[in-house]
Amino acid sequence: MNPRKLFALTRAGIMESLHYRLGTFVTLFANLIYLVLVYYLWKAIYASSGVDVVNGMTFTDTMIYLILATSLFNFLEMFVVWDMSRSIQSGKIILDLLKPLKFRTYTFWSYSGSHVVSFIMTFIPTFIVVMIITKGAIPMGLNLVYFLISTVFALIVNFNIEMIVATICLYTESTWGINIVKETIVLLLSGASIPLAFFPEKLRAVVDFLPFRAVYDIPLTILLEKNGSDTLQGLLPMFGFQALWIVILTAAGTLFWNYSVKKITVNGG
Amino acid sequence: MEDQALVMKNVCKDFKVLNRHEGLKGSIQDLFSRDYKTISAVKDVSLEVARGEIIGYLGPNGAGKSTTIKMMTGVLEPTSGEILVNGKVPYKNRTENCENIGVVFGQRSQLWWSLPLIESFKLLRDLYMVPQQQYEDMIELYRSLVDIEPIINKPVRQMSLGQRTLSDILAAFIHNPAIVFLDEPTIGLDVSMKDKIRALIKGLNKEKNTTVILTTHDMGDVDALCRRIVIIDKGMKIYDNDIEHLKGYFGSYRTLHMKLADDTWEQMLIDEKTTDVMQVITEKQKVTKIKDIRLEEISTEEVIKKIYEGEAV
Repeated sequence: MNPRKLFALTRAGIMESLHYRLGTFVTLFANLIYLVLVYYLWKAIYASSGVDVVNGMTFTDTMIYLILATSLFNFLEMFVVWDMSRSIQSGKIILDLLKPLKFRTYTFWSYSGSHVVSFIMTFIPTFIVVMIITKGAIPMGLNLVYFLISTVFALIVNFNIEMIVATICLYTESTWGINIVKETIVLLLSGASIPLAFFPEKLRAVVDFLPFRAVYDIPLTILLEKNGSDTLQGLLPMFGFQALWIVILTAAGTLFWNYSVKKITVNGG
Repeated sequence: MEDQALVMKNVCKDFKVLNRHEGLKGSIQDLFSRDYKTISAVKDVSLEVARGEIIGYLGPNGAGKSTTIKMMTGVLEPTSGEILVNGKVPYKNRTENCENIGVVFGQRSQLWWSLPLIESFKLLRDLYMVPQQQYEDMIELYRSLVDIEPIINKPVRQMSLGQRTLSDILAAFIHNPAIVFLDEPTIGLDVSMKDKIRALIKGLNKEKNTTVILTTHDMGDVDALCRRIVIIDKGMKIYDNDIEHLKGYFGSYRTLHMKLADDTWEQMLIDEKTTDVMQVITEKQKVTKIKDIRLEEISTEEVIKKIYEGEAV
């Protein structure tokens, strides 16, 4: 694993996504509309509950959480499944398979540049806007560093989920349905669309063991210094949870991919 | 074996394919079917290619060319037999093997779509860990072979097909691979671009002593580049020799052109072993007047066509 190869891919990725900068503005605009919807939805939920604090979260807490979750989603969103199914259909995948790097490594680092760009272009602006509106509701300290670390972990977990789903699509030869199912499951069970605090207890107990929590819930919890993540005792189990799932998913994904790649290369003249 | 770029010994490749049934009922049956049939895409192919050689690897559509190329590049594993590329088994150490091969597929591009060509070159330089000096020498060589100034700073998506193919060929040589696979590099190009591409391939092969495996359906490519050709059909190797020998493959064929009384040209393919050319002319002369006569060697294209149509086997 030579860093020169990897950073060359990141660099090219950054240049490529800067090329499509108009897309960033469209994303920001779409977020705005989505957040207006979320605002009124949760306002109604809080109004009907009759209390200020629901499941330990105030209305402002919930809004901050959901706004950051949305912009984190833009940043973490990957199109591995789409891109791979397209390149299998066109046969272009053979060119990626013939690069002097392992395919999974090559794919991950090819996407890395676009993540850097979307972090700077969508996440940071959103973060600043939230800070201004709430007049500094987000703690500013070491939690920002921990947040960055856990976001990188989240990125790797998310990449592994994507790769596994993409590999499943090799067998089913249809992408659309499976991708929608994946997206819904990840967004719901990761706490991206509804904070996990609102989940029924029994469901929560299950979700707590699944890898999806490592993608949105943990980074956001760390950023907002909730659930004792402002102490080392609270923080380490969260990092441990992410790291454990990275190991499990990377191992499983690699085995599954190496086994499957022999089958797909039949396609395409 | 040291001097061989590529060695294949009795290579076979089988695919298992589900027997599909007809109609809606059949499609539902297929969901649970275990009814597989085996298709042999490549049967017992042996081949040796020396360093620096350009060989034309030909065959009709569906003959097993792509499958063979995929095995040579290490993407597919042969069912049986042995393959050595640069003395190594390609599918065992795929990443390592990739460092020593280059590929160009005429219908696909490995370049970064929205970036200027030079950025793709730099990225490939880093991916293949090419030393800076070697990279600069290579770019210098490119400059001497083709006029790259108009394309070097152009984003790939703005290029014409010809420019893109040219760029893809240059990109495949950047890490100075020992062996390059060119799959229909001149497909869809105009006559003058084809000439440029051929000259470039020839130049790179000569300067770098790169082995080139060329698959194509354009006999112009073969005539311009290859001294030796290998033909496979239905997964079997049916010809492996010089291009000169090919012409005498089914006897000594020649094409006889005759200009008749009404100023039209008539052409006939004549096997000199069985038919006497003079006799044909005499016969014809009895019927009509012949104004002019031309006798031509059979073209590569015609021979290949006859082989594909199955007259050889």
